[in-house]
Amino acid sequence: MRVRTSGRRGYWLYLIPSLLLFLAVIVVPFLMNVGASFTRWSGVGTPRWIGLDNYTRLLADERFWQSFQHNVGLIVAMAVVPTAIGLVLAAALFDYIGKRFGTRTASALRAMYYLPQVLPVAVAGVVWGWMLHPSYGAVNQIFGLDLDWLGDPDLALATVMGIMVWFQLGYPVVIFMAGLQRVDPSYYEAAEIDGASWWRKFWHITIPQIRPEIFVVLLTCTIAALKVFGPIFVLTRGGPGNATMVPSYFSYLNFFQKSNVGYGSAIATVLALIIIVVTFLFLRVQERES
Amino acid sequence: MVKLRGAAVLAAAALALSACGSGGGSDTPSPSGTQPRVLKLWHYESADSAMGKAWAEAIKKFEASHPNVTVKFEEKGFEQIQKTASMVLNSDEAPDIMEYNKGNATSGLLSKQGLLTDLSEEVTKRGWDKLLPGGLQTTARYDDRGVMGTGKWFGVPNYGEFVMVYYNKELFDKHKVAVPTTYEEFTAALDTFVKAGVTPISNAGAEYPAQQIFYQLALTKAQKPWLEAFQSYKGKVDFHGPEFTYGADTFADWVKKGYIAKNSAGLKAEDMGVAFMNGKFPIVISGSWWYGRFASEIKDFEWGHFLFPGATMSPGSSGNLWVVPEKSENKDLAYDFIDITMTKDIQNLLGNSGGVPVAADPAAITDAKSKELIETFNKLTTSDGLAFYPDWPAPGYYDVMVAGVQELINGSKTSAQVLDELAKPYEDNLADIGN
Amino acid sequence: MRGPGRWAVLFALVVLAVVMIFPFLIVGMNAIKSPAEYSSQGPLSLPDGLYLQGIVDFWNRVEFGTKLWNSFVISASVAVLAVVLSVLNAYALGIGRVKGRLWILVLFLVANTLPQEALAYPLYYLAKAVGLYDTQLAVIIVMTAIQAAFGTYLLSAVLGQFPKEILEAAAIDGAGRLRSLWRIVVPISRPTINVLLIFFFIWTWNEFFLPLIFLISNDTQTVPVALGVLQGEKYMDATMSSASALLGVVPAIAFFLIFQRTLTRGVTVGAIK
Repeated sequence: MRVRTSGRRGYWLYLIPSLLLFLAVIVVPFLMNVGASFTRWSGVGTPRWIGLDNYTRLLADERFWQSFQHNVGLIVAMAVVPTAIGLVLAAALFDYIGKRFGTRTASALRAMYYLPQVLPVAVAGVVWGWMLHPSYGAVNQIFGLDLDWLGDPDLALATVMGIMVWFQLGYPVVIFMAGLQRVDPSYYEAAEIDGASWWRKFWHITIPQIRPEIFVVLLTCTIAALKVFGPIFVLTRGGPGNATMVPSYFSYLNFFQKSNVGYGSAIATVLALIIIVVTFLFLRVQERES
Repeated sequence: MVKLRGAAVLAAAALALSACGSGGGSDTPSPSGTQPRVLKLWHYESADSAMGKAWAEAIKKFEASHPNVTVKFEEKGFEQIQKTASMVLNSDEAPDIMEYNKGNATSGLLSKQGLLTDLSEEVTKRGWDKLLPGGLQTTARYDDRGVMGTGKWFGVPNYGEFVMVYYNKELFDKHKVAVPTTYEEFTAALDTFVKAGVTPISNAGAEYPAQQIFYQLALTKAQKPWLEAFQSYKGKVDFHGPEFTYGADTFADWVKKGYIAKNSAGLKAEDMGVAFMNGKFPIVISGSWWYGRFASEIKDFEWGHFLFPGATMSPGSSGNLWVVPEKSENKDLAYDFIDITMTKDIQNLLGNSGGVPVAADPAAITDAKSKELIETFNKLTTSDGLAFYPDWPAPGYYDVMVAGVQELINGSKTSAQVLDELAKPYEDNLADIGN
Repeated sequence: MRGPGRWAVLFALVVLAVVMIFPFLIVGMNAIKSPAEYSSQGPLSLPDGLYLQGIVDFWNRVEFGTKLWNSFVISASVAVLAVVLSVLNAYALGIGRVKGRLWILVLFLVANTLPQEALAYPLYYLAKAVGLYDTQLAVIIVMTAIQAAFGTYLLSAVLGQFPKEILEAAAIDGAGRLRSLWRIVVPISRPTINVLLIFFFIWTWNEFFLPLIFLISNDTQTVPVALGVLQGEKYMDATMSSASALLGVVPAIAFFLIFQRTLTRGVTVGAIK
């Protein structure tokens, strides 16, 4: 073959604009943040160098490390469950509803599943507060329950998880449905001739074909779950007690409530490093799989 | 931090490129009184609140008395100002005068960072200190550590606020409960409601209201020295002393007795207020910031208020402050504006709109409901009963208080354990300030 | 499955859709209530009538027209710029398989892994140093980088599966790299590229934190920052918040609905083969 495989190097050119942008907007600020993490600083004025003090303090902060266990639940609620349900929904909309009831029906349903992603988080928090109100909330009334969804420490995390599924679901559905467009229809046609069931096609064609999207959704949602803050803050503020506390709260607290930018930077750095390690391991697996 | 001064050329190019207005404010002050000038003013009170109304009027009066000056007012979001104040004030976009929260973690911090103008001279010259009784001055003055109470003046409050007991007259009549004047009468009234199957107190555990009730209960056993120790670090606070122990035990007890709903831990202040306005609860214990809203939105029943029975002190303080950023280019105009907000006219308007003015003419308050409110406030300030708020002594203490009180509501921790949790961040902060 | 079976599936999916949009109905209900009605009957009662003053008042109070335009300019610029960068990056990483692509991808993804608070102070000082503080350009640049990180990852994963034969065939026909990218890779990846465009627009539209930090003057602000004025220190203005939330999401939903038709199949792999 006479293909110009000569220079993979040439492809580097395409990365240059982004690398410059990332240097300025991400890498330099990240290094500045790491620098600030060795100081005592309120955000304004001259930072005072204190070496590793912030890090030793953070290592000893039990509440910070304990809050990571809530992330496990949130990864389930924000990454695993939406990916699993999203796959089934996307496949059902794409090659079941789309084929039997028309693509318009499928598109309309997709739009509705996606809507929660559009609602501003602050407003979503207020509305869920109304619906889950223990005395006159819609959820208790509809189901005839008497549960204190967000106020009971044994229930609050599960409630938050449920709301996060609601919030996240539309994202994988849209991505997976777009991914399914890429799949060569002849695979499905062949399977149909063989008389394969819907579930068989789902398992043997759909999933392998949109594997890249599945990886992307899983990783990005896991990252989002590890650093989630906004939704938790508007729903429970980490409470009751510390029942729904998450690690990002500590960086928020120090940056904006305590104006302890040095310590906040240390927390952000540690959090970022943990997420980067997870990302790296994940990408390694993804690389091998493909 | 790296300063990229050399990039100024790039900056100019980028600015031209972006063509996105950056809010002006580059007017240089002119020495003469005729050249057009602009006063950039920010606050975050909604237009229909007492402060919003009074300050709109103050802007009008200011423009009338300063014909060469235009006031460029921008309404800001509370959250934006809270998160970005030190960034904005450290830049050229700083306003000439703005409203800012009182307290160590907010105005105190900015003063320590050198971002606020020392107003001491103007305060004495213009006599603002004479208009503000003792407790109200506390939050306007900060020392070198940014701790309130003593030192230079960095802000001027226009209004006051305090926590009281609001009650639904209709429900009180229905259950034949009289307005209590002593603590015993108060708990007897609460018992009456519980016996009738009514939870008496509307509460919100996820935000500030629950901790203010807890603090109010502690205050029934507290004296001035304890308050000064807790709020101004003048002496040691024993978290297992009689004050806090009583507060925590009694709060937990009130939940057990049904005065406060067991399922109120996850509720927000807004839920609490709306439930009271719906007539679902006979009582809500909260601040004067609700007063104007209750007055305009409660149509179905009569309501009234009284100070917490049996306490000489209640949570409360001056309202937010007018501060003048160090980078303000029109400090003289800012002082003139503050002066106008302290005049009788503006103060009376604030009072007649449901706010708590600091320097109003009592005779000029014509609105009956407003009059009651101001009388109660004056009663509290004359006995020097403003006790500030429980979350003030340490930055980030608000969430610690929320978590602690939620545990009392849910009974997931004993009051001794909760008090330990409250003590730790407080002590940490003391050590920090000592630095 | 034929007959009743397919209706059962449709029914189940519709029920789920209703559950998903239920909170929107509540927002809508409160948006058209008067504050007094909300206060006396609570958030879950059906509205007595149509009260539109809240929407009108909010519109005037924050000069909502300006905010809409600002949000549109920022979101559209970010969406287009970030898509272009994502395509270029993904071409190099997914198809070019440049050396060290794993590390480059990790580097890009740092933009997503960093808590945003960590970026606030450094970016503030950088923006101030180059005179971009309080300009929309600052938000556009930063958001472009953050969105492009995601786009690069998604697209390069997808392009990693790109059928090599097609590109080889094109190369034999003498097509250069840029030409292959533009004529072959982009059309075939159109559904994914459109997803990126839609997501970038909506994510940027809803972004709250960075505009909050960077857009200080009221005339540069975006819709979510304008919504922030309704969340007071002690309580929120619930009816006006609902009204404004609807006003704020309508453009994003409209954008989604208009562009979602582009999510259906463009050019198929089969068609090019």
